[in-house]
Amino acid sequence: MSERDDQELVARVVSLQDTAAFGELIRRHQSQVRNFLRKLAGDFSVADDLAQDCFLHAWNKLDTFSGSGSFIGWLLKVAYTTFLQSKRKSKRYAEILESAGRVADLEQRTHTAANEETGDLDRFLAVLEEDERAIMVMSYACGLSHREIGDATDLPVGTVKSIIFRGKEKIRNTFDIQDHKHG
Amino acid sequence: MVEKMKDVDDKMLEALFASEPLPDNGFSEKIVGRIRRELWLRRLTLPTAVVVGGLIAVKPLLGLAGALLNLASLVPQRLVEQTAGAIPSMPTVVLGAMLLVVCLVGARGLED
Repeated sequence: MSERDDQELVARVVSLQDTAAFGELIRRHQSQVRNFLRKLAGDFSVADDLAQDCFLHAWNKLDTFSGSGSFIGWLLKVAYTTFLQSKRKSKRYAEILESAGRVADLEQRTHTAANEETGDLDRFLAVLEEDERAIMVMSYACGLSHREIGDATDLPVGTVKSIIFRGKEKIRNTFDIQDHKHG
Repeated sequence: MVEKMKDVDDKMLEALFASEPLPDNGFSEKIVGRIRRELWLRRLTLPTAVVVGGLIAVKPLLGLAGALLNLASLVPQRLVEQTAGAIPSMPTVVLGAMLLVVCLVGARGLED
């Protein structure tokens, strides 16, 4: 599976409206997109619904993919936009945040996680702001470069780097992790 | 040294953020199925609208055609013969249509 293969599939989808080629693109990238959204949304079923919406948006907007960056970078941008739009629409989310605050949000995220092993990660993610969370996940879970993250979030590379640095500091300070800089 | 230490942090975070690949389990088929249904709906929308619109409009159109025929029978024959000369002949109409097509093609060529 290479970036070139992805671009050939994209070309087939755009020029021929080839649904089989788009199905292959989904098969290749669904795991990364769903894992990304699961870490952002915290709820697995919500994340999978968002992933479906993301791929439907991607189908409709595929002609806007310029091919200059990686396809997964572009796809995660669509996923992040889908997540933000969904969150804006969801009054319930705002009500939960207002009434229960971030502590309850943390508890909820920990309880709704189906996999016990993700408990630590949920606690780490809960101390991050939303943009920090998205960027840290793109960087450490999806393996995107700083430039790709910048493209996905419409932020300059320098801002991406500083957000990652800030996120790491927050995690280190909140959980009292030994600073490796001092051995 | 600092870079090396940063790498340790990064590796710790990468290990923390790492996830098992999720099996497809029909996920892609579900989305492709939805897309195919939407494509069919889009393709069917225009013909369906034309058929439905035609069915709705057929009765008023027949009424209108009948009224026009009745109206035509009321126009005096002498008036019809006088205006017949003002209607352009078939070769003139064809020439005009050809000129229009040439202008449109030329305009498109200029845009490109």
